[in-house]
Amino acid sequence: MHGGDEQHETAMEPGFEFIRPRFEAPKFPMHQVWGYVASLVLTFGALWMTVNRIMNPSVLLGVVLAMAVAQAALQLGVFMHVRESRGPAWHLVPLGMAFAIGIGLVGMSVWIMMFKSGVS
Amino acid sequence: MPSFVPYLIHTLFPPWVRRPTEIGAEIMMVAGGAFIVYWLLKYKKLQWLWNEWLTTVDHKKIGIMYLVAAIIMLARGGLDALMLRTNLAMPTLHFINASEYNEVFTTHGTIMVFFMGMPLIFALFNVVVPLQIGSRDVAFPRLNAISFWLFAFAAALFNLSFVVGGSPNAGWTAYPPLTELAFNHTVGENYYFISLLMTGIGTTITGINFLVTILRMRAPGMTFMKMPLFTWATLNTSALILFAFPPFTIALLESLLDRVAGTSFFTLSHGGMPMMYVNLFWLFGHPEVYILVLPAFGVFSEVVATFSRKKLFGYPSMVLSMTAIMVLAYGTWVHHFFTMGAGPAVNVFFGLSTMLIAIPTGVKVFNWILTMWGGRLTFTTPMLYFLAMIPTFVIGGATGVMLGAVPADYQFHNSYFVIAHFHQVLIGGTVFGLLAGVYYWWPKMFGYKLNDRQGKWAFWLFAGGFWPTFIPQYWLGLEGMTRRMYTYPFGLGWHTLNVISTIGGFIMGAGFLVLASNVLYSRRHQERDETGDAWGNGRTLEWSIPSPAPEYNFAVIPVVDERDWWWAEKERRQSGERPALPRPEDIRPIAIPKNTPVPILLGAAFFLGAFGLVFTWWYIALAGLAGVFGLLIYSWFQYDHYRILSAGEVRESEELLGRLGA
Repeated sequence: MHGGDEQHETAMEPGFEFIRPRFEAPKFPMHQVWGYVASLVLTFGALWMTVNRIMNPSVLLGVVLAMAVAQAALQLGVFMHVRESRGPAWHLVPLGMAFAIGIGLVGMSVWIMMFKSGVS
Repeated sequence: MPSFVPYLIHTLFPPWVRRPTEIGAEIMMVAGGAFIVYWLLKYKKLQWLWNEWLTTVDHKKIGIMYLVAAIIMLARGGLDALMLRTNLAMPTLHFINASEYNEVFTTHGTIMVFFMGMPLIFALFNVVVPLQIGSRDVAFPRLNAISFWLFAFAAALFNLSFVVGGSPNAGWTAYPPLTELAFNHTVGENYYFISLLMTGIGTTITGINFLVTILRMRAPGMTFMKMPLFTWATLNTSALILFAFPPFTIALLESLLDRVAGTSFFTLSHGGMPMMYVNLFWLFGHPEVYILVLPAFGVFSEVVATFSRKKLFGYPSMVLSMTAIMVLAYGTWVHHFFTMGAGPAVNVFFGLSTMLIAIPTGVKVFNWILTMWGGRLTFTTPMLYFLAMIPTFVIGGATGVMLGAVPADYQFHNSYFVIAHFHQVLIGGTVFGLLAGVYYWWPKMFGYKLNDRQGKWAFWLFAGGFWPTFIPQYWLGLEGMTRRMYTYPFGLGWHTLNVISTIGGFIMGAGFLVLASNVLYSRRHQERDETGDAWGNGRTLEWSIPSPAPEYNFAVIPVVDERDWWWAEKERRQSGERPALPRPEDIRPIAIPKNTPVPILLGAAFFLGAFGLVFTWWYIALAGLAGVFGLLIYSWFQYDHYRILSAGEVRESEELLGRLGA
């Protein structure tokens, strides 16, 4: 109905080659299994480190945030098909917005929590 | 008697649900339920109900179910409001006591925002958007039904709290420590968190659904800048939903875990951070108010153009300002807690971003007024709601800018000034807008208009009662009356203003009754609209098809070459430039999504699990979860979601509607 079925060359803007559509479908989704295992390791690793307080809090915060970013990239790449697109890469617009909001919320909240002051 | 029976009675019906109001509500619920079952059995309507409504995936029927649910919830939320106002008009009588007052203002706010406002918006999305973009359904019809049933069962669960177990009582914002288990032992807050999580899943799905629908399923030729304004509003609202609901879901889930699983995300005594809840809540909460008001802006843009018989003034600037509001909406949330004390730099940033958002809103108001300039105006009920919105929303917006000024906000914070402000924008903007939309698109939904004379009565009562209700509350706020107080001593000078406000509230209640009776009256007495263009000067695609629309919507999908396509098409047809009716050979077979019982069963499974979780009866909760997974696995193995309507059947149906050329 929307012309999605026929094989066609998708015209890409130069500079957007990295999201050129690729719809390979292997027999067993090994890629996804590894992604799933890695997500679990990142999640429970962060929880374990926080519960056991294995390093001082500010370093721990940095490590946990880095693990969160890694997990976001993992989820987007492996499960959310961020590299696949028919036609223009519309999904990059909301993705950019999501990053702006995420950085605004997490970064700014961490920053405000460092104030440690009463009502000013 | 087995030993668990007294335990069950004590848990399900504790003393605070055995007060007269609760017992009265119980009797009404049981009697109402019994009457509906009796009626269904007597007229043998059970099969009809199941086939035509409960298992449907048709966006038009889902929209009507949203509408019915929203009107019922409006009645419940309105009754709550009148109980609050009665208490404040007679502060020494203690019509309802302090704890009951807490419960009633909590359910009033929660129901009005999540179970009245949101479903009314989704009713209009569902009924209007696919027709307006020339599509045969939404992108994911089955998910759409799942959204509705999650909402419906969540609303049922939330209302059940009134009579089983106890209502939530920490305000619609549910801040800790008010919601902490240590200070709040009843199951009320569990009801709040779980039912909002449920309806939140449905809302997020709806947002995604309409984003995809609008991006992918427009009629050929309808470029972005040819989309009707209501569709633009839907697109922006869906984008807001997509980003606003995740932080809310996290805030609700973590609060729930604090209560049922012993974590301490927000419990200060165990190192949690209550202000982080406030932060997450308002990162959702501020975009939420734009989720509520943008669809109303869309409705007004359609209504004012139709009843001025002119094209909308400044379409590109309308689109731009709406998108600007969508983006800016994410940058203002801290203005809800300036008094947290994040410091002058942070507060000034959010104060300025708050004032900034008044600019695109002002652009829209001027564009609406200029649309009327030189037009031929007809004062129908939707147009009256539009006209009433202008002064209401402008004053509400101006007091919003006052609240955005940081030093002044330290004075206004938590006072009745805030109450007056947000009721003025939410009723003056959202409710007027949605009522205008309901009156405007009613003929498209049901094939007849609501009676205009009665509609005007309802309008004058509702919009006329609005001013005495809320304007005195600004003064009450300035005189120091804080929100959520159930009584006050005489001699503070608050009584007269409160009495005026209560009288206004009851006038608005009368307006609602006239509206409800208008719906019932019009069903029997209004003449049917045979043209499909009930107002005579519709401009957009939905008015080009019969009312109510056939299940396939468009027999032939039009090619859109104009912004107000139907207006241009009517002129072309009159001048004979284009044939008035499609030829039989243009009609092709149409794929229609099949009915399915999965969505309603999924909602029921969610309901069972949620009910178990409210009382932390884990086996029941797990049974519900198993039901959810079972239904999902069952639907993985269903492949034939569509049935084919042959070209002959479509031709026959179009012939009956008188819409087939030779």
